[in-house]
Amino acid sequence: MRRWALFAAPGMAWLAAFFLVAFYAVVAVGFGNVTDVYDPVPHWNPLEWNVGYMLQALEDIAPGGRTWPVFVRTLLYVAIAVALSLAIGYPVAYYVSRYAHGRMKALLLILLAAPFWISYLMRMFAWTNLLADGGYAATVLNALSLDALLLDGEDWLGGQHVAVVMGLVYGYVPYLILPLYASLDRIDERLIEAARDLGASSAGAFRRVVLPLSRAGTLGGIVLIALPMFGDYYTPDLMSGSPRTAMLGNTINNSVQGGPDKALGAALTLLLSAFLLVFMLYYLRELRRENAL
Amino acid sequence: MSLALEHLVKRYGDVRAVDDVSIEIAHGEFFTLLGPSGCGKTSTLRLIAGFETLDSGAITLDGTDIAGKPPHKRPVNTVFQSYALFPHMTVAENVAFGLRYKRVGKAEVARRVGEAMELVQLGSLAARRPGQLSGGQQQRVALARALVLEPPVLLLDEPLGALDARLRIDLQVELKRIQETLEMTFVYVTHDQDEALTMSDRVAVMKGGRVEQCDEPRVLYEAPGTAFVANFLGSSNLIPAAVTGDGLQVGEFTLRADVNGRTGDALAMIRPERVRLEPHGSAGENRVPGMVEAVVYLGFHQDVRVRLASGALVRCDVPNDGSAVEHASGDPVCVHLPADCLRVLDP
Amino acid sequence: MKRSRLLPAVTWIYVVWSLLPVLIAIRFAFNEGRSRTTGQGFSLRWFWTDPTLSVRNDPTLASALEHSLVLAGLSMVIAVPLGTALALGLQRWRGRGSGVSNVLMLLPLVTPELVFAVGLFLLFTSAFGFIGLGTTAQVIGHVTFSLSWVVLIVRGRLVMIGRDVEEAAADLGAPPWHVLRRVLLPLLGPALAASLLTVFALSIDDFVVAQYMASGADTTTVPMRIYASARAAPTPALNALVTIMLVLSLAALALAWVLGRGRPVEPRA
Repeated sequence: MRRWALFAAPGMAWLAAFFLVAFYAVVAVGFGNVTDVYDPVPHWNPLEWNVGYMLQALEDIAPGGRTWPVFVRTLLYVAIAVALSLAIGYPVAYYVSRYAHGRMKALLLILLAAPFWISYLMRMFAWTNLLADGGYAATVLNALSLDALLLDGEDWLGGQHVAVVMGLVYGYVPYLILPLYASLDRIDERLIEAARDLGASSAGAFRRVVLPLSRAGTLGGIVLIALPMFGDYYTPDLMSGSPRTAMLGNTINNSVQGGPDKALGAALTLLLSAFLLVFMLYYLRELRRENAL
Repeated sequence: MSLALEHLVKRYGDVRAVDDVSIEIAHGEFFTLLGPSGCGKTSTLRLIAGFETLDSGAITLDGTDIAGKPPHKRPVNTVFQSYALFPHMTVAENVAFGLRYKRVGKAEVARRVGEAMELVQLGSLAARRPGQLSGGQQQRVALARALVLEPPVLLLDEPLGALDARLRIDLQVELKRIQETLEMTFVYVTHDQDEALTMSDRVAVMKGGRVEQCDEPRVLYEAPGTAFVANFLGSSNLIPAAVTGDGLQVGEFTLRADVNGRTGDALAMIRPERVRLEPHGSAGENRVPGMVEAVVYLGFHQDVRVRLASGALVRCDVPNDGSAVEHASGDPVCVHLPADCLRVLDP
Repeated sequence: MKRSRLLPAVTWIYVVWSLLPVLIAIRFAFNEGRSRTTGQGFSLRWFWTDPTLSVRNDPTLASALEHSLVLAGLSMVIAVPLGTALALGLQRWRGRGSGVSNVLMLLPLVTPELVFAVGLFLLFTSAFGFIGLGTTAQVIGHVTFSLSWVVLIVRGRLVMIGRDVEEAAADLGAPPWHVLRRVLLPLLGPALAASLLTVFALSIDDFVVAQYMASGADTTTVPMRIYASARAAPTPALNALVTIMLVLSLAALALAWVLGRGRPVEPRA
């Protein structure tokens, strides 16, 4: 009915103006020009596009370019952080969905959801208290001689890969656990019993029934945390602040917000979006399926 | 008040959910649309209520075309299968909901709500919320909510479908009582043949969006027009046969039957309770020998299944009244198919 | 079934690890001394009594708190009605363009925040320069990424309510506007409360968009304040600010929970 389209119209207009056009602004600036004082001049008309900054961004991010090491570091950080998050998150989600019952389960779910009510920056800030020189965590870790093992002579907050990756895991693992929990909790207990009845060992039932059935939830959770990690610049800033641990997000942030390279930053943003497109499309598909849209 | 449906057609994509349905329903009639799921009965009801728009055809109420009106401007009211009670309102508020659009005074609202609640025997539950009621009580509220508006035609979409068997029977009796008391036209949708037979003045059996047969329950049961109707209402034997000059040919036997001018291949229909089981070798017309294949004990009767020489299986209902001869599978017997009980149908 | 000791151990260690740092940071907010790395007695110095450095008396901290709340309030007021209408529209509208609209509605959810923030920043400094950066831009940003969440929450509830009650209301004579007001909106109550809460949480939590849309000191939010001074701030006043923020979030959650309990029973089991 046409009446309902009218209901949707203001919201769609809002999204068109402030989401679609905003994204196109990145395109227009990335394929635009700059004035003498380096203010970007967006080229809204595709026929007037200037590919100079895009070529520059491509050269920068290609092997041997100046952003290449940052790109590789970002990939490694995200890969390690996602792997660690899974290693922590899966057992937790599995335990809460399968073995916790009644009030204990309710309590655990509240505790698992609690980080959602504490702002991300607040949680990172808490770690800067702990890892600062003389902080509780730093003191304990140093007492265990872990500083000698993991650090390169600097403080825990002095540009350490370990600190940044730990920060990423700490920051994002709650967002992985909840979708994992949801997909594991949906698995019918009787399927596992049936597998055992048909001769599967406990481990066999897990491998042949639980793992395949939780695959979609796991992939969804991974994409859910990997996407924002690729755009993260505040975690490295708070946990290290050193260029040694800069991620792609820092490079983009520095170009767009600070430096004279807004056009280059826009081009880099486009490259990042293109790189993440597969993940975004996967997540989009999952969202549509889950919400039956 | 008479409701006329003329050549109703409703398509969903390529599917004709309602395919040229024409029915005339008289004032005060309890009319039932009966059929399996997907036969178009609910779609027909929704067309009358106005929830679906007609592709073609006309719906007239006492000569006035109502098909073009939106649901809230049609005088008919509906009792939903899910009851669709408003969970945020009390029972009394639910019942009073539609009176607001009837421009009646406050005192009048209170009086009519009270009467409607009395009619469905829910007087004491006015202040409850729907969520606090049992299924049967919710069903009564849904009924009162529609009845209070005194619609010329009440539409009921499987209103008893969600209730357990005993409650259904009680409510069937009550629905019929209310309908007769109010002399209101009911259009009732169900897939339950017992419901249709018990309450209705007339029943339209639907299949594939079309009306297969529309008549009084007794006629539908005893003189079904098609094999589908025969099967859907009660159980029936449908024996492959052929119409010849001599009569009805079943295998090598010729039976006497009213062939109704048919020729060629046909189905001989007879209700199991009309089949007589006789000893092997019994003489007389319309007797066919066979062998007992199975005997199913059902308490108040037995279902004896006899395989004829033609290969057809005939089910025979033997009442458990003490007079029956016990049969075992393998016994040779003879089935008597009385001519006045045989119906010849298209295959 | 045999129970492993390992799983509960991992779970509880995780829970402690995920929440203890924040609890310790809150503990430092009550320090008597200036340390942010060790506990030093108990006082409300950094909340209230310190004449220049407490949250109450340091204008940069107090205004960040105020600005975060203003942004969250404005975002709620705009995003929830806009998103509810969008949800109603998209749920019912099955015509040309509805498929594309459904996808567009989900895009903000799958786009990295940085990409969105860069886009909005470049837009407001170029073609939409008449809006410019500042509070308005921050609200627009927060509304844009909250909108999809509101739509998902409201649509989920619409599916649960089903179309029957709407049809019943129309059948009983209610014109479309009354169906919306007397039946649909009351039944959407829990979804609207959940939406308000979600928009509040998203807005309070957001750092990237707020930072990109900011235009100066008076548009600084709490997360921006934390970002700017986490490594520099010499006193636990920042911890006190964080504590206040957390208490406000929990209060909002509790309020929603209390309000939610008075809701009518679900339409169907």
